Amino acid sequence: MFRLTIEKSLNRFINANNIDLNQIENKIISLKVDEIDLTLFFLSLNSRIFVVDNHKNKKADVSILMSKASFLSIFKGATIEELLKSEDIEINGSVNTAQQLASLLSSSSIDIEELISQYTGDIAAHQIGKAFRHLKDSAINNDGSLIGAIKDEITTVLVAPSRSKLFKGRA
Amino acid sequence: MGKTTHFGYKQVDVEKKQGLVKEVFDSVAGKYDLMNDVMSMGTHRLWKNYTIASSNVVEGDHVLDIAGGTGDLALKFRKKVGPKGKVILSDINSSMLFEGRKNLLNHGVIDVEFVQANAESLPFDDNAFDCVSIAFGLRNVTHKAEALKQMYRVLKKGGTLLILEFSKVENQTLEKIYDLYSFNVIPKFGEFFANDEDSYQYLAESIRKHPDQETLKNMVLDAGFEFCEYHNLTGGIVALHKAIKA
Repeated sequence: MFRLTIEKSLNRFINANNIDLNQIENKIISLKVDEIDLTLFFLSLNSRIFVVDNHKNKKADVSILMSKASFLSIFKGATIEELLKSEDIEINGSVNTAQQLASLLSSSSIDIEELISQYTGDIAAHQIGKAFRHLKDSAINNDGSLIGAIKDEITTVLVAPSRSKLFKGRA
Repeated sequence: MGKTTHFGYKQVDVEKKQGLVKEVFDSVAGKYDLMNDVMSMGTHRLWKNYTIASSNVVEGDHVLDIAGGTGDLALKFRKKVGPKGKVILSDINSSMLFEGRKNLLNHGVIDVEFVQANAESLPFDDNAFDCVSIAFGLRNVTHKAEALKQMYRVLKKGGTLLILEFSKVENQTLEKIYDLYSFNVIPKFGEFFANDEDSYQYLAESIRKHPDQETLKNMVLDAGFEFCEYHNLTGGIVALHKAIKA
C-alpha cells in the first residue's frame, strides 16, 4: 500500500505534467531510510515509475541512504545537494539521478508524513481519513471523475492488505 | 491415459482439460456476472477496482485482457487508456466473448477489440502491450508456465502483468468458513441461479488446486519477469500478482 500510494502519486504527477523521464530511464534507484526500516526501489521504465520489491536483489544504479528527517525534507523540497552538505545522506552512484528522483518526489504532492505514520503506526483510521482527504486531488489528477476517485480510494482501503502484513520487515 | 493434470479434484488427460473447461464456461457464460455478484457478494468488483488502481496504465497505453470474459476489466481499462489507447479482450471461449461483446455494447463501447485466443499461444507480436491482465482465468489454463511466458513475450519492456486470482487464505478460521462456504453454499447457488451445480463445484475445487501466492510468484519470475509481488485481498481469498518486465 505504501509503495502503491507513492507509485500512483508519482505517475499521476508525471502524466499530468508530461514529465520527461529520459534521464532516469532504465535506472534502478534504491532509497533506504534506516530509522524506520524502509527501503524503496524506484524503477523508471516505459515513461513511468514503478515502486517495487527488489527480491531478486538486482543491483541498484543509485543507492541512497538517509535519515528519516532527510527523507521527509525531500518531500518538502530539500535538494540532494543541501542534504549532502548536512552529511545526513549517503549516495552511491549518480548524484544527478538521485536529484531527479528527489525532484519528482517533492513535486508529486505525496503526504509523506501521513504515509510514514501509516507505515510506522496503525493504519485503518489513517487509511480511511487519507482516502477521503485525497479524493479531491485524485479526481482532478485522475480522470476528473469524483466517483471514479472515490471508488479507487475506497477499494484500496477495503481490500488492500494492512501495512503491518505487507510491510513487516520490508517496504 | 497419458500425461494427466487436474480438473478440479479430478485427474484428467492433459489434452482433455481445455475441453472440459470450455464446457464449464459454455454452461455458465450467460449467468457469469450474476453468479460473480452472488458468490462474492459484490466483492469481485472491489478486487477488480484494486487491480485497475494498481495497473499503472496511462492514457494511450495498449492493454491486453486475457480471459477477459464478460469484459468488466476491459471496460475499466478502456476508460484509463482513452481514445488514443487500445484494449484487446481475449478469451479462449466463444460463449464468454459473446457475453463480453454484448456487455460492452450495452455500455456503448465499440472500440474494444475481441480476439478468441488460447493464453498458451497468444496471437500477438512481441513487445506489443503496456499491460497484460488476467482475472480469474489463470487457474483454468492447462500449461500455466507457458501462458506466463507468452504474457512476458507480448509485454513491452516496462510493461505490467496483473494476475488477479483466487489464492490461499491467510487466516485458519477464515479458511474454515471459506471452505464451508465454497463447498456447501456456492454449488447450491450455482444450482439455484444458473441451474448448474457441477460447474460451481469445479470452481471451488479449481481454486484449491491453484498455486498459492508464493508459488505463483516464483512461476511468474521463472517466466522471465524481473519483479513480481503480490497483494492479498480479503484475507488472501484473492491475490493480485503484479509483475514488471524490465
